[in-house]
Amino acid sequence: MLIDAYDLPDGQPLAADVCIVGAGATGIAMALQFLGSGIDVLLLEGGGLGRETDSQALYDGAVADRRLHSPLDRYRERRFGGSTTTWGGRSMPFDPIDFEARDYIADSGWPIGRDALQPYFPLANRIAEAGAFAYTIDAAFATPRRPMIDGFDSQTFTTSTLERFSCPTDFGRRYRHKLDTGREIRVLVHANVTGIVLSAGGQAVEEVTVKTLKGQTFSVRARHFVLANGGLEATRLLLASRDLMPGGLGSRHDVLGRFYMCHMAGTIGAIQFNRPVWNGYDIADDGTYCRRRLAMRPEVQRRERIANVIARLHHPRITDPRHRNGILSMLYLAKMFIPYEYGKRLHGGEVLDWATRLAHVRNVVTDMPSTVAFMAHLLRDRRLAERKFPSIIIRSKTHLHSLDVHAEQEPNRESRVTLGQETDALGLPRLVVDWRYTPGDIGSVRRFLALLAQDIERSGVGRFDYDQDSVESEMTRYGAYGGHHIGTARMGSDPRTSVVDANCRLHGVDNLFVAGPAVFPTSSQANPTLTAIALSLRLADHVKDRLASFAAGERSVL
Amino acid sequence: MSRRILVLGADGFIGRRVVAQLAASGWAIPVAAGRRRLKGSVPSIDRLCFDATDEKALRAALVGVDGVVNCVGGSPATIVSSARCLFRAAIPTGPVVVQLSSMAVYGAAQGEVDEQAPLRGDCGAYGVAKVEAERLASDYHRAVILRPGCVYGPRGAQWSERLARLLRTHRIGDLGAGGDGFANMVHVEDVAAAALAALRRPDGYGQAYNLALPNPPTWNDFFLQFARALGAVPIARLSERRLALETRLLAPPLKVAEILAGRLGLGGFPPPAIPPSLARLWRQEIRLLVGKAENHLDMRWTSLDRGLAETARSLQTHAG
Repeated sequence: MLIDAYDLPDGQPLAADVCIVGAGATGIAMALQFLGSGIDVLLLEGGGLGRETDSQALYDGAVADRRLHSPLDRYRERRFGGSTTTWGGRSMPFDPIDFEARDYIADSGWPIGRDALQPYFPLANRIAEAGAFAYTIDAAFATPRRPMIDGFDSQTFTTSTLERFSCPTDFGRRYRHKLDTGREIRVLVHANVTGIVLSAGGQAVEEVTVKTLKGQTFSVRARHFVLANGGLEATRLLLASRDLMPGGLGSRHDVLGRFYMCHMAGTIGAIQFNRPVWNGYDIADDGTYCRRRLAMRPEVQRRERIANVIARLHHPRITDPRHRNGILSMLYLAKMFIPYEYGKRLHGGEVLDWATRLAHVRNVVTDMPSTVAFMAHLLRDRRLAERKFPSIIIRSKTHLHSLDVHAEQEPNRESRVTLGQETDALGLPRLVVDWRYTPGDIGSVRRFLALLAQDIERSGVGRFDYDQDSVESEMTRYGAYGGHHIGTARMGSDPRTSVVDANCRLHGVDNLFVAGPAVFPTSSQANPTLTAIALSLRLADHVKDRLASFAAGERSVL
Repeated sequence: MSRRILVLGADGFIGRRVVAQLAASGWAIPVAAGRRRLKGSVPSIDRLCFDATDEKALRAALVGVDGVVNCVGGSPATIVSSARCLFRAAIPTGPVVVQLSSMAVYGAAQGEVDEQAPLRGDCGAYGVAKVEAERLASDYHRAVILRPGCVYGPRGAQWSERLARLLRTHRIGDLGAGGDGFANMVHVEDVAAAALAALRRPDGYGQAYNLALPNPPTWNDFFLQFARALGAVPIARLSERRLALETRLLAPPLKVAEILAGRLGLGGFPPPAIPPSLARLWRQEIRLLVGKAENHLDMRWTSLDRGLAETARSLQTHAG
């Protein structure tokens, strides 16, 4: 059932077995698991069914260095469906190595291994509509596909791992009918959680306080509470729950809000291949777009003592008209039509002089046939398609590419989010984000690039040239990769070094859980959404088990 | 070996398989009754030719018959009137009748549905007719009712050929929320086997049996599996908008074309329509419970993999 909190009477409390805060990727994925379970679920969404300016404004906050981090109301959507209403759909599981305690990466290591999530990934893929849980080219395709780089034979890198893409599915639109008709589920929109009220001893959450932007306030009581409102917002809510602990709920050992990670990402260098390469998508039977990339083998990561890094074959830099490619020039000229979240990395926000712009116009005109064909492809396969062609792929006639690098950030205590002095319209303190990267982050990318250049040359497939001195500036040109909010409520078995336990439960609080990438202790090379969904499915099972054993206990007492 | 079983609608998709299984059973002799004279029918099988709504002809056909399997399809009116004629005509001799009904009797029901569920028949004229036919059958006292889900298999028009054509032309595929319903598929040979089992079970009168694969896939999963068998992959993702266009704008003219082509003997020429009722079914999260058929009729189900492979093969040979 879908209810608008604006229609509810002020002050009237609500109750459920499970209260999930936030109807985005993880909140919706979890709620779906309770359909038919007989367990009452209340799913609280702060925003409405569509984008609303006043709801979105609740996300505003401050950023320590604006060049390094996007504004806080970007890449986050406070609405039913959450940020799946705007995501790109790249659906990747974290690699097994990401869960390991790596002695060369401080504060690495999860209290669970990838095997703990393995049973949940297929369902996560299904919910995200990213097709089968098959992430190597051989597992995903029954028949051999053309190689990514024919003749590239490397002990260091593999080209057989895949990225898979969601439609990208807007979870709100896709699953609304199920949540709406499910007997167990009540979805409340315009219901912003502004406080967590603990029992007298502080061991359990009694209720959460909900406010609407029209002035209603009411409480929600439940047996279990799950914060599924995004990496940053879950952290903000915990930090702001200061009744028993001045630093916020879960802040006893000053870990909450720290270890904030996104990803390092940048476009680097020029790879000149001496043969055609395949940088496009392969389409799986189920219709999902799959794309190969250059990944460093785990044993090499361990040997080299570096973080997890991958790279994709990319088109040359758009802003430089010397690529003579009409499509790229057109993308530059059309930059005002490309949404901020995607445009930033596409055209770089560079302001070009008139002569350069003219050169772009000339490229478009002289390369007209392929430009027109590309426009048609964009219209058919992206704009009009329900399963969208995920990115812009330019097949270079000259076999010239740049490298799109996506890299893990190591956990860093000093990279953190805190509460500022300002409050939002509902009285909740606004966030201040101070994102940092480390020399180690850049060092891993450097080593990756050096080894790649070596292997490309050694295997005789071409040459990779890049400016070693500009690696750091290229990897930070657009700052932290947007939308990946990881690590601020990290998972661990020791309360002194973590915020939640292996079951995503807040240390010391019996019935409060955090879903989503805030609990990831490390950031991987992979985008966080799919792993966050898998982890939330595991959490749903855990909550169900807890309720079942409680019910069994109750029976045995009687 | 003197048992004679009259199969009504014997030239239909299900009727043909019932006749074949009876003929191979060594337990009874089928008498195949159809509306049209068929060329190329199996010479060893007794054939009658009459309209199943012709009560007099039916009465004559029932002489010396021990059992009847009613597979008559057609319009809702035909379904009801043939059932009415059959159960009236059968009173004097009292043969056991296996009445082919449909999951359509459950109408818009959601969730797990066993044979005790109310017969809502609230999803169109076909369901209403099947409910009415069931009512007539239960008044007869010596009838067994079979409620198959979507019957597929080689030469199945509705759930095999039509879907194959739609999959090959990418008019269906991954339907997103539009394909979240369950595909309660059942292989035509399994339906025929259930009919035989019902005939052979002396205490089954008055019973109804759901027939479908246990743990059915969603329609989206089914379409992918069928498309794989057909080699029609990758499947397309279709938007709700596109499906609405199909059911609201394209379906009416295509249906008219289908009727016209049928009259002109050009069956199979116009592309199949996707009527709103079909799109509704693909969304319906109804799961037939089939434990009763497994326990009473010893039903074992043809796996979807095998059934679809066989169906795809037959489609290839038919398409040339």
